[in-house]
Amino acid sequence: MTENDEDTIEYESWYKYGVMFLYFEMFIAIAVSIFALILTFSGEGGISKQ
Amino acid sequence: MTHKIEQLILASTGFFWCFLMWFATAAFSPSIREDYDLSLSQMAILASSALWLAPIGRIVAGWAADKFGARNTFAIILIYCGIFSIISSFAESYEFLFFTRIIVASAGVSFVVGIQHVAQWFEEEEIGTAEGLYAGTGNVGAGAGALILPRIYGTNYSDAFLHLGIISILIAVIYLSRGVSAKNEQRALNAKNTATLKGTLFVWTRWTAVALMFAYAMCFGLEIAMNAWLPTYYEEGFSEQLDKLGYTETEDIQIAVGTFAAVQSFNASLFRPFSGYMSDLFQRKRWMPFPMITKKLPYSPRIHWLMTAMLCITLMMILLTVVGLLGILPLSVVVLAIFGITVSFGTGATFAIVPLMFKDRPGTATGFIGGVSTSFAIAFPLIFGSNNLANIHVGYAVVAITVFIPFMLFFIWAMRYGENPEEHGIGSKDFWLKSEMITEDPHIEQSEVSK
Repeated sequence: MTENDEDTIEYESWYKYGVMFLYFEMFIAIAVSIFALILTFSGEGGISKQ
Repeated sequence: MTHKIEQLILASTGFFWCFLMWFATAAFSPSIREDYDLSLSQMAILASSALWLAPIGRIVAGWAADKFGARNTFAIILIYCGIFSIISSFAESYEFLFFTRIIVASAGVSFVVGIQHVAQWFEEEEIGTAEGLYAGTGNVGAGAGALILPRIYGTNYSDAFLHLGIISILIAVIYLSRGVSAKNEQRALNAKNTATLKGTLFVWTRWTAVALMFAYAMCFGLEIAMNAWLPTYYEEGFSEQLDKLGYTETEDIQIAVGTFAAVQSFNASLFRPFSGYMSDLFQRKRWMPFPMITKKLPYSPRIHWLMTAMLCITLMMILLTVVGLLGILPLSVVVLAIFGITVSFGTGATFAIVPLMFKDRPGTATGFIGGVSTSFAIAFPLIFGSNNLANIHVGYAVVAITVFIPFMLFFIWAMRYGENPEEHGIGSKDFWLKSEMITEDPHIEQSEVSK
């Protein structure tokens, strides 16, 4: 690959689905983090409090 | 006929299951402790034993992937770990359980086999995303084990170990029937022919391999170290704040601090594919912001992305110390969440480079970089918890300044070569590979698919 190729790369069809899947994984990470932290900081994260 | 996506799914599934088996012991540690009446020190030994075989095991597995093909190597790991997981479910003494679970914990070595498998199938421009998807999805097995297994099996860890073992063997059978080690015969042959002792020593003595190993110690080694260290850190360092939130019972504190640790682990795993994508993006856009690092290699932008990640990790470590000293718990956890993301930047960026830099020895290089770096996971918590430090918060900054900055300086020094970076190290390429270079020809590709 050279510098001239920079914007001419054509990915195979799987690539866009791969990128969609990685965004989905990031969404899961953010959602789980926020949910867990809200529970914890509202004092409801412990077993005996549920 | 097969497709590379099928191979990616096979490798990711196998790796996910191996990580699930690896961390299944930790998921049931309270039940195991109760059943065998274990002391805290025995529990600590059981927890750390999960890492004992990783450094040497990964080195051997990486070499084996090159020599015998990823398909065979991955299937063997799944089969023996599955068998020992089944055997461990019948354990009646702690000693027997301990011994069998150490062997099951060696499932973690499969990481390097899958990296080699994916590298043998995907092209240069998409390797970052492909390796990121593989490793990120597989790593989730650790978090999934902690979250799901106790909810399905309660305290019945024997049934869990039995079922995990049986499914592992089934995955091995599928891997053997559908797995193909390389895109073509020549790629498989290149890896096989270079998997020699001299080839291995050649990789180990390259400055670039050592630099990548340090980089991976700064991210994956740190991630594993933090998994073990963070619960203790928050329990000790923020006890007053936890008390104010109403966490007074040991069990409640354990859940709360475990949640903080899980946030780091989850982000570090699930953002990893994004880092691979960023590596592809740096490559596509030819972004190279660091003047000291070479811009002449075909994959130079990927090295610059890794350097960016290393700087972010170091900065976040110092920030963790700062917010810890300020005593603001919510801010500390927010910084920790971002820290987890920067760790994923490092892990994803490293293995977007390794298969390209060591094209003929992807397994051997991955084994060295992924294996030796894991030993830092044992060293970092010792510094964090050292009695010589002023308080529990300063350990992160101490590691950042005394370990990470020298690692980065070495990385910059090693990555300055614009041509043939593999020539530089202890001994020349000729010295190590003179006899092999006569037969090597990495540019020949055949269309025939290789088992």
